[in-house]
Amino acid sequence: MASRGVDLGAVEAFADGDVQRVEAGGRGLVVVRRGDVFYVLRDICPHQGARLSDGQVTGQVAECSLGGEAVLARDGEILVCPWHGWQFDLCTGRSLVDGEKNRVRSYPVRIAAGRVLLELD
Amino acid sequence: MSQVEPAVETQEASTFSLIDCDVHNYPNSIEELMPYLSARWQAYVRQSGFSGPGGPTYPKGFAQAARRDAWPPSGLKPGGDPDFAREQLLDEWGIDLAILNPLYGMTALHNLDFANALMRAVNEWTADTWLGSDTRWRGSIVVNANDPKNAAAEIKRVSADRRFVQVLLLVRSSAPYGKRQFRPIFAAACEAGLPVGLHFGGSGNPITACGWPSYYIEDHTAMSQAFEAQLVSIVCEGVFCEFPELRLALIEGGFAWLPGLMWRLDKNYRGLHSEVPWLKKLPSEYILEHCCATTQPMEEPKNPQHLMQIIEMIGRDEFLLFATDYPHWDFDSPDRALPPVIAGDLRQKIVVDNAVAFYGF
Ligand code: FES
Repeated sequence: MASRGVDLGAVEAFADGDVQRVEAGGRGLVVVRRGDVFYVLRDICPHQGARLSDGQVTGQVAECSLGGEAVLARDGEILVCPWHGWQFDLCTGRSLVDGEKNRVRSYPVRIAAGRVLLELD
Repeated sequence: MSQVEPAVETQEASTFSLIDCDVHNYPNSIEELMPYLSARWQAYVRQSGFSGPGGPTYPKGFAQAARRDAWPPSGLKPGGDPDFAREQLLDEWGIDLAILNPLYGMTALHNLDFANALMRAVNEWTADTWLGSDTRWRGSIVVNANDPKNAAAEIKRVSADRRFVQVLLLVRSSAPYGKRQFRPIFAAACEAGLPVGLHFGGSGNPITACGWPSYYIEDHTAMSQAFEAQLVSIVCEGVFCEFPELRLALIEGGFAWLPGLMWRLDKNYRGLHSEVPWLKKLPSEYILEHCCATTQPMEEPKNPQHLMQIIEMIGRDEFLLFATDYPHWDFDSPDRALPPVIAGDLRQKIVVDNAVAFYGF
C-alpha cells in the first residue's frame, strides 16, 4: 500500500531545537526540529503517560570509565521525559535504558514543497 | 605468620551436607592478642589498661550477645573456646565447613597505627588458635577499613594462607564503601582471589539514616538500612565495573528488602543513568551477578509461602547462603531455620552448593 503524507505544517513553523506538539491523524505527536532534520514521536511517554512535548532535548552522556571525563554525545538527539527523566532516542523512539522494552513510536518524515509530511502506512 | 603456609585440608565438596557462612570467634581478652603485638604496642596496652575496642552502646538481649548455653564450661567466653565451639556447633550439627568472622571492632579506634597492629594480631590469632584447631574452620581476614592502604597490605599478607576465604568489612563504616578511598581494599581482595564479606555491625555512623535509636531492638532491626546504603553506593560508584571479578557477601543483613531495593534502584537508573555513565547495565544485574546474602537472621513471615515469593522476586536461587551466627543469641538452627517450603534443589543450594560456588570450596 502506498504511504500517504499527513501535513504537519510549514517547515518555518518549527523553530530549530524546539519541541512542539501537533495533532495529526487523531494522534498527539511531538515534533523536534534539528536543522533540516525533523523527528516525530508519539507524544506520550510509555512509562506513565507524560506528554513528551513538555520535555527537553539534550544529548547522551557517553559511557566512560569511573572518574573519567563524562562527555555529552549526540547532543540534540535525545528527548527527556518531563516527569521521571527517561531519555528517548529521537531517531528510534527507544529509551536509552531497556530500549527494546521501553520505546515510543517514531514516525518517518519527509519534506516536500516546504511542508513537513508525516509518512503514515 | 609462618613462612610455610599451612595446606588447606578439606573433603570433597560433593560430600558436604552443611556449610555455615557466619560464625564468630573472639579473643577472651587482650592477653590472647599480646603475643602478636610488638613490644611497643604491648607496652601501650599495659600502660593504658586497654582491654579491647568499644563496648556495647546497646546492651544486647544476652551477655556477649550470646546464646546462654554457648558459655563454655572451661570458663572462657562464648566464641572463645575452639574445642567447645567444635563440639557445640560443628559436631552437633554435622557442619562440614564454617567461616569464622571475628568481630573485633578495631575500626572504632582513632589511632590508625594501633588499630592496624590489632588487625594483624587478630588475623594471626585466628590462624593459630582457630584455623589450626580443626580443618573445618575457615577464616575471614579482618581489616581496618579506616586505613585502606594498610588494609590492602594486610589482605596481601594474610591471603597467602588459603584457609582464609574472604575479607571482612563491617557494614557501619565511616563512609559508604563505594567511595573511591576504599578501592585499595577491593583491589587487594580481587588480587588475592577472595570475596569481600560485609557483616552486621561497625562503628562509623549511626545505624539509621536519621540518627541513633534508643534500643537494641531498633539497632538489630534497622541494620538492614546500612546494608541497603552500602549496596547502593557500591553499585553506583562503579565498584563492580572496576572489579568485574569482585564477589560480595552480605552477611547478617537480611534479604527480604532486596527486591524493593532493586526495583527502586533500577527505576531511578532509567531516569538518572547519565549521572553514573560507567554503569553498563541495570543496577540489579550487578547485584545479582556479584552478590550473595546469608540467611541468618532468617526472615520469618507469618506465611512461609511469602518467603518463597521473596526468593522468587530476588530471582536467583544461587543468592542465599546458610549461616547460623553461632554463638550469638539470634543463632539460626540448621534443622529449623529454613522452613519446609524451602525444599529440594533450592534447599541444597542454600545449605551447600551456593557457598561452594561463591567461595570456591
Ligand atoms: S512518564 Fe515519562 S518517565 Fe515517567
